Amino acid sequence: MTPDSLFALSGPLALLGWIALLAAPLAPRIADTVAGLVVPLVFAVAYAGLVLAFWAGTAGGFGSLAEVAALFSDPWLLLAGWLHYLAFDLFVGAWEVRRARAEGIPHWQVVPCLLLTFLFGPAGFLCFGALRLTRSRMKG
Amino acid sequence: MTVYTPPTLATPRLWRDDPAYAGLGLLIGIAALPLLVALALDPRQFQDEAVWIKPLKFHAALVIYLFTLAFFARWVPEATRASRLWRWHHAAVVFAIIGELLWIGAAAALGTASHFNTSDPVWGALYSLMGLFAVILTSASLGTGIGIAGNRAMEPVLRLSLVLGLGLTFGLTLVTAGTMANMTGHFVGTPVTGARLPVFGWSREVGDLRVAHFFATHALHGVPLVGWLMAGRSGGRAAVWAGAALYAALVLALFWQGLSGLPVI
Repeated sequence: MTPDSLFALSGPLALLGWIALLAAPLAPRIADTVAGLVVPLVFAVAYAGLVLAFWAGTAGGFGSLAEVAALFSDPWLLLAGWLHYLAFDLFVGAWEVRRARAEGIPHWQVVPCLLLTFLFGPAGFLCFGALRLTRSRMKG
Repeated sequence: MTVYTPPTLATPRLWRDDPAYAGLGLLIGIAALPLLVALALDPRQFQDEAVWIKPLKFHAALVIYLFTLAFFARWVPEATRASRLWRWHHAAVVFAIIGELLWIGAAAALGTASHFNTSDPVWGALYSLMGLFAVILTSASLGTGIGIAGNRAMEPVLRLSLVLGLGLTFGLTLVTAGTMANMTGHFVGTPVTGARLPVFGWSREVGDLRVAHFFATHALHGVPLVGWLMAGRSGGRAAVWAGAALYAALVLALFWQGLSGLPVI
């Protein structure tokens, strides 16, 4: 196994979760379970394993931007960082879908936020926050 | 409006009888998952073995130990299980087990030794502290054994076998593992070129004290097996006493074999 082969596996797995979220109105329970639980947990196990295996060997750290750069110069820890994105972005996406369902926000309004969360994580979170705030104002 | 609820698993009664040991057993089992990933990816070796083999062995062993004790807890009277002593002892055992596993896992992550590591003052002090923790976690079997000894309502042959098995696990483990801990390593003799028994990793060329430790700790399975087979039969008590004596003799023979520098097979 190489960092590249695991990277190649991680993309389709994340995509599976995102497709489940896009189709959430058709199968809400499956979407919640796959995107909100199973896929992020698989990433979490892989991430934790990577950190256990490779953290001790790095000169990098969290203390400065240079240390973070050193951290990501190791392909294994770069892969760990990537899985971190994939896991938490998907988890946030699943939370958005559950919140929207609970608050009666139509799915088509959530979809742009999901796309943004998928591509640019926090920007999608911002989008969904703006959507909720706007809707609550409009209701008066 | 769906809130996620975890799937309802059939709940065996050990969760009710001994939630602390059953819960810790499950947690330790789950915690082995990232260790398996690390084992698959990490090329580092320590003493001719992948660094993650040792933590995984300890996780597996403690899962079996904890679930066995949680299963046996059904024969501990309810009043004993509700006592403050029982709960505080459980808390100490849980703390000690988590401490041991963190120590062993951290040493593996750093690619260094956990047991027998006196390379610097910090590791040396940790090794001493972990000796104390190991005694505490071994005392879990004694605690459950004493609890079962106070059960006047259960079948006496099975009770005797559980009490003897749990007591032997405690006593024999203290002797074998305690002796091993006061040496410089688990091997006795040279040369060590790396011939090992599969799965267990015991040496096939020199004495290996982990063999006796293994069988000592499994007395809590071996002796109750006799009691389970002989429960309710005439001569059951004698059979259990004989089985326990035989088991102890086996462990002591393996111990002597290891100390003499002889491989188990």
